Amino acid sequence: MADGKIVAGFVAPHPPHLVYSDNPPQNEPRSEGGWEPLRWAYERARKSLDELKPDVLLVHSPHWQTKVGHHFLGVPRLEGKSVDPIFPNLFRYSFGLDVDVDLAEACCEEAKVEGLTTRMMRNPRFRVDYGTITTLHMMRPQWDIPVVGISANNSPYYLTLDEGVDEMERLGVATRRAIEKSGKRAVLLCSNTFSHWHFQEEPDIPEDMSKEHPQSYEGYKWDMRMIELMRQGKLREVMRLFPEWVEAAFAEVKSGAFPWMLAAMDYPDIPAELHGYGTVIGTGNAVMEWRLDA
Amino acid sequence: MAIVSAFLLPGNPLPALHPDTDPWQQLVEAYQEVGEAIRTARPDVLMIYSTQWYAVLDQLWQARAEIEGIHVDEQWHDYGDLPFRLRTDTALAADCVARANAAGIKSKGVDYDGFPIDTGTIVATGFIDPEAKIPTLIAACNLYHDFAKTEALGAVAREAVLAGDKRAVVLAVGGLSSNYIDHVIDLTDDHIAKSEDDAANRRFLAAIRNADQDGLRKAALDYAASTGTDMGMKHIAWILGTCATIQGADVKAYGPIYGAGAAVVEFRLG
Repeated sequence: MADGKIVAGFVAPHPPHLVYSDNPPQNEPRSEGGWEPLRWAYERARKSLDELKPDVLLVHSPHWQTKVGHHFLGVPRLEGKSVDPIFPNLFRYSFGLDVDVDLAEACCEEAKVEGLTTRMMRNPRFRVDYGTITTLHMMRPQWDIPVVGISANNSPYYLTLDEGVDEMERLGVATRRAIEKSGKRAVLLCSNTFSHWHFQEEPDIPEDMSKEHPQSYEGYKWDMRMIELMRQGKLREVMRLFPEWVEAAFAEVKSGAFPWMLAAMDYPDIPAELHGYGTVIGTGNAVMEWRLDA
Repeated sequence: MAIVSAFLLPGNPLPALHPDTDPWQQLVEAYQEVGEAIRTARPDVLMIYSTQWYAVLDQLWQARAEIEGIHVDEQWHDYGDLPFRLRTDTALAADCVARANAAGIKSKGVDYDGFPIDTGTIVATGFIDPEAKIPTLIAACNLYHDFAKTEALGAVAREAVLAGDKRAVVLAVGGLSSNYIDHVIDLTDDHIAKSEDDAANRRFLAAIRNADQDGLRKAALDYAASTGTDMGMKHIAWILGTCATIQGADVKAYGPIYGAGAAVVEFRLG
């Protein structure tokens, strides 16, 4: 089989607050709402995803951290209750997801060809991380599209940033090759926040929006600068400034999902669609789309 | 009454999952020896701080009375499962939350079914008290607390334990150097990932043998500044805060766990 393609890539950040404020039946805690502009941004992204009719969603999550190698979910069906260890008051979510094991294995093999250390995750009792679940819930709450889940190897933290980004770019190239060979229509989901400066104490009512604003003006300005470049289709310039962005905004893109996705899409020079931007506990979150296939 | 004893213990699950692997046997034997000593001492509570339970908003304290389950580590999932069982001293946890808030460290308890207990806590309690006979007090490692604030957090927990007239054992669960070998290895070939890490680990372990409270603090801070260490050695800050009377340390075992440094250390208390 051939002619598979990446039909779109989304920046799809994972603050569990967005699931909490949405009050879906899968999540135990109840809220009074909150973070509406970001949830409306996801509403637009969901509509777009629906139009794309993908066969598979690939998500790279900073909250599945692996020290040795890039790992891929490799169990056909994973279910359970995911309680966020950081925000257990907000996120206690009963999930069930189907994994495209064939494509995951293909990505794993192609990544090996790229010289990366890789591993398939075959343990059926594995607890899927809340980043993966939040991104998938916000993008496709029906949970009816198979998934490839990819860990965030922490190479950008223990190697130099350049070396870490290089690893993620090779992972992206490997992902693209595996998708092309699969014959499938794939959508990539980069599960990370931009500016990651955040508050360190939680308001008594977490969804009290009178307490919500960028924690760092500097981080906010960097996010706007980078989003504008993305809207202009200048991804090479984005990557040239990437180290400064990571440093100044403590940007979570450092964890690898962002360079993975851009490399997999081969740095398209098309304008990105900004579905929306908002802060969550002070962090900067953009929902963005690069549509490669109309 | 008193802090009975205090230990630095590894939180990586590989020695627990593969205890017969040659490079880890010394760590396992030391862990087992410590476990037996603690069970014999019959403390009222284990005061646990694990570098693998992260908090970012507020300080979190485990408040669930009983927790059990099967844990799969996010990195070492193919090496096996970790069954666990824990009991919490809920009154002590509530007291710590109140005292920490009063001390300006915004805190809350977590009491949720299915809460993901971290690997380090599971490994340590698995060696020390697998039948969960001893209640625990478990504090999260807040990523934004520095060494001094973590020491202050330990002091809060100490006050609560002393006020409750309890006999406590302190467990600081975490590693030494934090660089892992980044490729697949034959486990029998495990070694410290970098020679400079090995040298720094050994210097630190030598420095703490006869270090008092101030000496241990200085050794930990110097060590954390010299190389990549697990959470900036904030688990040592927990030892300092909870114990307050360090007089030295006995290093029972030291070795690699997939390239990172690990040690079993008992601290001597005044």
